[in-house]
Amino acid sequence: MNRLIVILFFFFAATGVYAQCNPDAYTSACVPKLADGFNFLKSYKIDGQGGQKEKIEYSYLFTKGTQYMINLCAEGADTDGIVVSLFDGARNKIASNLINGKFVNQLTMQCNATGIYYIQYTFNGSRNYCGGSALGFKK
Amino acid sequence: MRYFLILVALAVISCGPSQEQKDQAFEQSLSQDSLGNLPPGVNDEFVERVLQQIPSPLEVSALLINSGMEYNPELLNSTDNLPKYTTTFKRALAIGAYGSDLYYTSLYGMNKDELRLINPIKTLANDLGIGQFFDMATIARLAGNRENMDSLLMITMQNFNAVNQFLQEKQRSEVSVLMMTGGWVEAMYVLLEAYSLDPSHDELREHIGEQKIILTHLMLLYPYFEQDKNIGNLHNHLKKLKSAFDDVEIISNFKESTVEIINGVGVIKDNSTTTVKITRQQVEDIRTITGELRNYILN
Repeated sequence: MNRLIVILFFFFAATGVYAQCNPDAYTSACVPKLADGFNFLKSYKIDGQGGQKEKIEYSYLFTKGTQYMINLCAEGADTDGIVVSLFDGARNKIASNLINGKFVNQLTMQCNATGIYYIQYTFNGSRNYCGGSALGFKK
Repeated sequence: MRYFLILVALAVISCGPSQEQKDQAFEQSLSQDSLGNLPPGVNDEFVERVLQQIPSPLEVSALLINSGMEYNPELLNSTDNLPKYTTTFKRALAIGAYGSDLYYTSLYGMNKDELRLINPIKTLANDLGIGQFFDMATIARLAGNRENMDSLLMITMQNFNAVNQFLQEKQRSEVSVLMMTGGWVEAMYVLLEAYSLDPSHDELREHIGEQKIILTHLMLLYPYFEQDKNIGNLHNHLKKLKSAFDDVEIISNFKESTVEIINGVGVIKDNSTTTVKITRQQVEDIRTITGELRNYILN
């Protein structure tokens, strides 16, 4: 029996059960939290696998003349140290939700330059490395 | 500890059959035509990355309504076309097009036309084996009421996102690519026809030019799947459309942005710009080829 327990321990350690991250719950919670007037476009899962994964990245084509909002949901009311950064197609950093040392869980931008943008999630002092995010737009 | 082990065993056992049942209808639907025989070796990560970048047709509808363009029901793909869609290839393109039409009718609050689109979407989703992602009773209920527009758009968008994720997990990304293509071509057609009624509308003309970016990205995916004869033919049609965009210029000018917190929200001031150079003649050429392409995929 002891041998079986040891095997199960290593099985779960190797398959990443450690963190029990359920990003779907956070994305579902995040979609309705887009501000009034914004239409939902995409939801993004953030699973840092207990700290093993340094960044998670998605991309989307932003269009000039459109206002976009990215919001962030994690355990509790704050962002749990999840940093969302926006880069343009040439990898120039546009902004992040860590502004002058303070985290915010909503970012908005009136886009003036059409192109592919990268939405990157990293961790800065996170406890759970787990969250969800939603992208919305309005004209 | 014994109970713990029994629970673990039950959890492992319980995962198998339910997933199998869930996928059965989907697998059956694909084994009936040529799309069931695509070769392995597709770079799934790349395909997923490109697919997630493609904007929703909802954005085009929002632009039209914001530009003061009137609703035109004659632009919708006729629901009478439904019996023509008998293969996975045709069904995937058609559900994308009807989905795009659903966004268009919803945003304009045209409840009767919305409701008319529910049945074709439901039928095609079932035929494609992805009916489980569409709670049509809820969608039909929401579609009948103008006040529910936001909820309807949100649910429809979530459904299509979930379908795409499912298809990619099942390594059937070509179905996603076709759905995206159908939706994009339909939105493009509506945009071009709306513009033709008011060619002085510079914002619409620029937006048509910007579609070059989407077409270019979409076409990156076709080489993976063009061993299928239908997809190969569609790729040739897209190449023809791409050639009409070749001389359209999109000029980017990067300037560092600024960000400040206003009422708890990080507000980014985007100082970069893009300028689109596209002539009315180029738009007319794109319109002609898009009309032919739409006719090819939906009729």
